[in-house]
Amino acid sequence: MKSPSTPESSESVDRVIHEVDGIQEYDNKLPNWWLYTLYGAIAFAACYWYWFETARLGASPVEAYQAEMDRAAADQAMALTVGDATPEALAALAKDPNATALGKQVFVSTCAACHRADGGGSVGPNLTDEFWLHGSAPERIYRTIASGVPDKGMPAWQPQLGALKTQAVTAYVLGLVGTNVSGGKAPQGEREPISAR
Amino acid sequence: MTSIAPTADVRDVASPAQAARVIYDDTTPMRFMAASVLWGIVGMLVGVVVALQLAWAPANVHATLSFGRLRPLHTNAVIFAFVGNMIFAGIYHSSQRLLKARTASDVLSKIHFWGWQLVIVSAVVTLPLGLTQGKEYAELEWPIDIAIALVWVVFAINFFWTIARRNEKHLYVAIWFYIATIVTVAILHIVNSLAIPVIGGTLKSYSVYGGAQDALVQWWYGHNAVAFFLTTPVLGIMYYYLPKAAGRPVYSYRLSIIHFWALIFVYIWAGPHHLLNTALPDWAQTLGMIFSLMLWAPSWGGMLNGLLTLRGGWSKVREDPVLKFFAAGVTFYGMATFEGPLLSIKSVSGLAHYTDWIIGHVHSGALGWNGFMAAGMFYFLVPRLAGRPLHSRRLADLHFWIGTFGILLYMVAMWVSGVSQGMMWRATNPDGSLMYPTFVETLIAIRPMYWMRLLGGSLYLLGMVLMGYNLVRTGLTAKVVETEVSVVPLARTPEVPWRDVVFSKPIVLTVVVLGVAGVGMASNAFASPLFLIVAFVIGLFGVLAIQHARRSGGPPFHRILEGRALLFTVLSGLAVLAGGVAEIVPALVVKPVEAVDAKPYRALELEGRDVFIAEGCYTCHSQMIRPMRFETVRYGDPSTLAESVFDHPFQWGSKRTGPDLAREGGKYPDLWHYRHLVDPRAITQGSNMPPYAHLSDARLDLERTGDKMHALSKVGVPYTDGDIRGAQEDARAQGHAIASELAKEGAHVEPDTQMVAVIAYLQRLGKKTEPGTRPADGVSMKEPSAEENAR
Repeated sequence: MKSPSTPESSESVDRVIHEVDGIQEYDNKLPNWWLYTLYGAIAFAACYWYWFETARLGASPVEAYQAEMDRAAADQAMALTVGDATPEALAALAKDPNATALGKQVFVSTCAACHRADGGGSVGPNLTDEFWLHGSAPERIYRTIASGVPDKGMPAWQPQLGALKTQAVTAYVLGLVGTNVSGGKAPQGEREPISAR
Repeated sequence: MTSIAPTADVRDVASPAQAARVIYDDTTPMRFMAASVLWGIVGMLVGVVVALQLAWAPANVHATLSFGRLRPLHTNAVIFAFVGNMIFAGIYHSSQRLLKARTASDVLSKIHFWGWQLVIVSAVVTLPLGLTQGKEYAELEWPIDIAIALVWVVFAINFFWTIARRNEKHLYVAIWFYIATIVTVAILHIVNSLAIPVIGGTLKSYSVYGGAQDALVQWWYGHNAVAFFLTTPVLGIMYYYLPKAAGRPVYSYRLSIIHFWALIFVYIWAGPHHLLNTALPDWAQTLGMIFSLMLWAPSWGGMLNGLLTLRGGWSKVREDPVLKFFAAGVTFYGMATFEGPLLSIKSVSGLAHYTDWIIGHVHSGALGWNGFMAAGMFYFLVPRLAGRPLHSRRLADLHFWIGTFGILLYMVAMWVSGVSQGMMWRATNPDGSLMYPTFVETLIAIRPMYWMRLLGGSLYLLGMVLMGYNLVRTGLTAKVVETEVSVVPLARTPEVPWRDVVFSKPIVLTVVVLGVAGVGMASNAFASPLFLIVAFVIGLFGVLAIQHARRSGGPPFHRILEGRALLFTVLSGLAVLAGGVAEIVPALVVKPVEAVDAKPYRALELEGRDVFIAEGCYTCHSQMIRPMRFETVRYGDPSTLAESVFDHPFQWGSKRTGPDLAREGGKYPDLWHYRHLVDPRAITQGSNMPPYAHLSDARLDLERTGDKMHALSKVGVPYTDGDIRGAQEDARAQGHAIASELAKEGAHVEPDTQMVAVIAYLQRLGKKTEPGTRPADGVSMKEPSAEENAR
């Protein structure tokens, strides 16, 4: 409580007013900056409450999130930063060393947990043999990676990795096919020889 | 009366006829100090072990000593054993002197001391065994909770009885803080710990609160455990020992009054700042944030009164280890109470929540404020009670510097680690994809900081050991030298009628202003500013009127109140209750509307959830996806209230050492979870998760599952009698389905093991299912359909 500083009321500095068990108490005035901090915080609290809760002028976290997602959807429709994942485009990427290098990087950090670093498979299927659960065509592989197979535990990766990395890792996986690494997981799914592609 | 005790004070006005002799009980404070030093070293040793486990996973050597079980032991030991015993020592020692009376009952003091140590020992035994309620800082199971409540009541009786027998009319500011502590901790502990035990001789119980209600109650408790267990009693101790040690008068009595009442009134509202950007209703989040900001000045009021009391005495601070610890402790308090409001801003919390920044924040408070205030008090008190000088002042100085350096290393490590990881989680590419899509990348990046934290914590522990040695050599375990004083018994004087105190201008004004402002906050956009302006004008003129009246003479209002212990206690209790009632009651009466869709866990999933809680998985994994794009890209849609409505207790978590699990169900195959639980690093290189291979050998007690569901049905989870009767059969069927699928992939585990149950639970997270459905329809089953095979 701020006191008007009249000379007779503002107790002269450092006057002992009480004593108990040898401990004395002064009754000094509260520092002004401390009082302004207190008043400022209270005023801010009132304004903040009014703005966000009473008048609802500011966006709540959920509303802000919705707005961000709407903006993102609009941006995505506007700009196609990478080409469409057509079979031809994917086949071309598979021959592009820059793309497969990026793909390998993504594979090792993201896919290796289930498919092993060399693609031989552990939790997930072997990617280096000629047997396929969801198709071996470039666009089928791309779709499996991008949209996932939720029922089998394969997450949809495009939302996390983005289109570019998803295509790059597809290109890298295309290069694994037929490498038949040793110690790989037993074949699963249909046989689709490389020559048939 | 011994000449050695400088705290002894003889009333020179006492004429021999009136004077009575009082011998203070100093054995009790000495005992509490010895216990505090011992448990402090134990608790911090466990802290160093868990820090090592975070930096280097192989340190999880055994199931009972894995991080998830030791972390609750560390927090409980430091908060309730180290700081608990320290505040009891300070309260028992200083209250007798401030009240000029021996503690009312030596028997109650003994029950309090030994009862509290018994509680601690039972915590040390039960927590590593995985017996836990799964509520942070309130993990202890119900029989221990009851013991805590009883011991606290003994403490309260002893304390208030001493007040009733006091020979000093006016209560000093330290006593105000002790009163607020004792009243509030009792309320917090009892309300938060309400749980329904599972019948049949187990220690297991379930919180009566579920989902968002439990979140609100839990953090109302958790935050105010910080406020009323780690802060207010230690402020009281500061108000006694700091001016004593400095030999300087307290800077400002009126600052004491204002910051005391503001602190206890405002603190209690701030709990929801632990739940910012979660599914908690927005109004509660906003209340938590704005009250946290308003808490800044009241907190700093305590720091100011401490530091300004040292004015003119700084040369003494350079020489006396006691004052060094006090000055640094109060400074750390100022830092932590500035950081707290900062972290309570919604956008700052968006970055810092779930990261190590929070860990750094609590440790700047626990190590800097609590640990240093404890050290200062011990170095001051043990020589005086033992009747000989401190064994080694240089060793105490060394403790100070090692401790300070340790805290700084710890804090800097956690700031860097928290901000780095928070930034990495939210780093996105222009197309919205994550820059660090695998969680473990963000953990590997901060690994060096975990080693630095380990170093800082170890240095601090070393300082504690030095203190323990120094104090034992001084006489911590020796017989105390008793202090005898002569006091003048209080004369019976006519009192102001209590109605005149309760309905005095300052109280009526406070209630009216807060009431009108509260109505303003609850009313619509047009009425609200009017109410707030009216509240402001009433407040302004009221204050001016009271000050005018005061200048015309008569004892100041607060001085009257200080002489009335019962009134003071009731009023401080009401000030504390206001915030709790305003926030928690609406949450308890309003059920979230969407809850109608939610389905409770199946029997095996429930067993898996109990394993999840017993292993302390919640200490590293949240189950609360916040509405932020970088977060939903990583984890899935924002969590809703309905999803956790049947979670007793809630498992939203407070820290992500590993990723969020709210939508873990169906993300990976059962085999992934099996291999990951057996050896996390086989699946995720660089993970620091403890291995859980032992879950494959631990059998479930499925006879008990029905009892558990029965207990949960009592607190509002809609299990039918059929569900309860068929629990065992359903659990076996679901377990069998999971185990046989795993067996096909070459992983052999029995269907009634904790391993299978926890996999069933993890696969359920974020999914909805009908209770008691046949396994083939269960969510955790992933029979590949013919169509999928054909693709």
